[in-house]
Amino acid sequence: MAVPGHVGSDYERLRPEFKVIPNPYDPAQPVMIVPAIRCDAALIHALAATPDGTLLLDHMEDDALLAQASRVVIASAERIVTRDELGRAGEGVVLEGIHVTAVVELPRGAHPTFVRGLYAVDAAHLSEYVVAARDDEAFRDYLARYVHGPKDHAAYLALLT
Amino acid sequence: MATVIAREVRDGETVAVGTLAPVPASGVLLAHFTHAPRARVVLLNHPDYWPFRQGSKEFYDFAQRGGFDLFFLSGGQIDRHGNLNLIAVGDVERPRVRLPGGAGSAMLYYLARRVIVFRTEHSPRIFVERVDHVASPGSSPPEVARPGGPWKVVTPLCVFRFDRERKALVVESVHPGVTREELARRTGFALDDVGSVEVIPEPTSGELHLLRTRVREAVAKTYPQFAETAFTR
Repeated sequence: MAVPGHVGSDYERLRPEFKVIPNPYDPAQPVMIVPAIRCDAALIHALAATPDGTLLLDHMEDDALLAQASRVVIASAERIVTRDELGRAGEGVVLEGIHVTAVVELPRGAHPTFVRGLYAVDAAHLSEYVVAARDDEAFRDYLARYVHGPKDHAAYLALLT
Repeated sequence: MATVIAREVRDGETVAVGTLAPVPASGVLLAHFTHAPRARVVLLNHPDYWPFRQGSKEFYDFAQRGGFDLFFLSGGQIDRHGNLNLIAVGDVERPRVRLPGGAGSAMLYYLARRVIVFRTEHSPRIFVERVDHVASPGSSPPEVARPGGPWKVVTPLCVFRFDRERKALVVESVHPGVTREELARRTGFALDDVGSVEVIPEPTSGELHLLRTRVREAVAKTYPQFAETAFTR
């Protein structure tokens, strides 16, 4: 697809798959084209979902676009609801279940990031992550404690004070 | 810096502020609450100032149509030609500093009519003679479609104006108490000798009051930590 701007930037040098071609509609004008991003899988978190995978998503984020660019889409949702309830579940955009491969109910599934209107960013936990990410050993400890250690999401949440 | 930015906002314009930009957000809101009540204000991640329903794609599509009169960008490095580096400092494969990536900056720098570049640190490592990688060029050859581009660069020391003829930043004004020597010492490129340089007026008591009350309250919805600490002086 064509992207406006970009011509003359170092993306021409750094990203060989980005190409500059004459604009077919105005050949005197160069235009950059970039290949579409095709993801193998997307993991996204929804405000609510129906059992057929229809999702209510934060309208400020790009999850619907990400889902449509991915072959497999695994969604978690704060709660599973009926179709009727989805319409009343809050502000957001609806992504139809045809785009979604699997869905699971996972309250507080976005932690340590946020779900608008439900819970805020856990700034203290993100700071802990940033500190741990500075060296390999500390990061291994972080993974052992929060990722590999807990047997499920409830056990993960129980670790947080 | 916020009051300097506020003075650049014109009433009736469509003005947008992107991610990680609490100072421009404060300046734009200050303008909106004073001389620019009819400006259409778009603040990324703000519940009251985000008029899009379909994520940032809708925002970028709007920007690509030339929807924004004024936008704000920054850079890990900024050079005298107005080039911005958001890619990496040093070799891309083994960078000294990995920057966040250019994202939409190489489009917005071309399509927003006026772009104000802001940076809260004014030092030789930021303001360099030549950026290591150009994520967003300051200027383009005439055949490239480019209705917009850099307008001003706002820092804690000064305001640069982008001179389109010379394709270079020239000092327009300095904050009170900033000497030419200090500015030269803390800028990594040779300052153009532009003769007379104005001194930026201090914020008025009215501006300060608004910043500490209505602006602070509104900015807190996107930047709670910034609102907590930045308005105390």
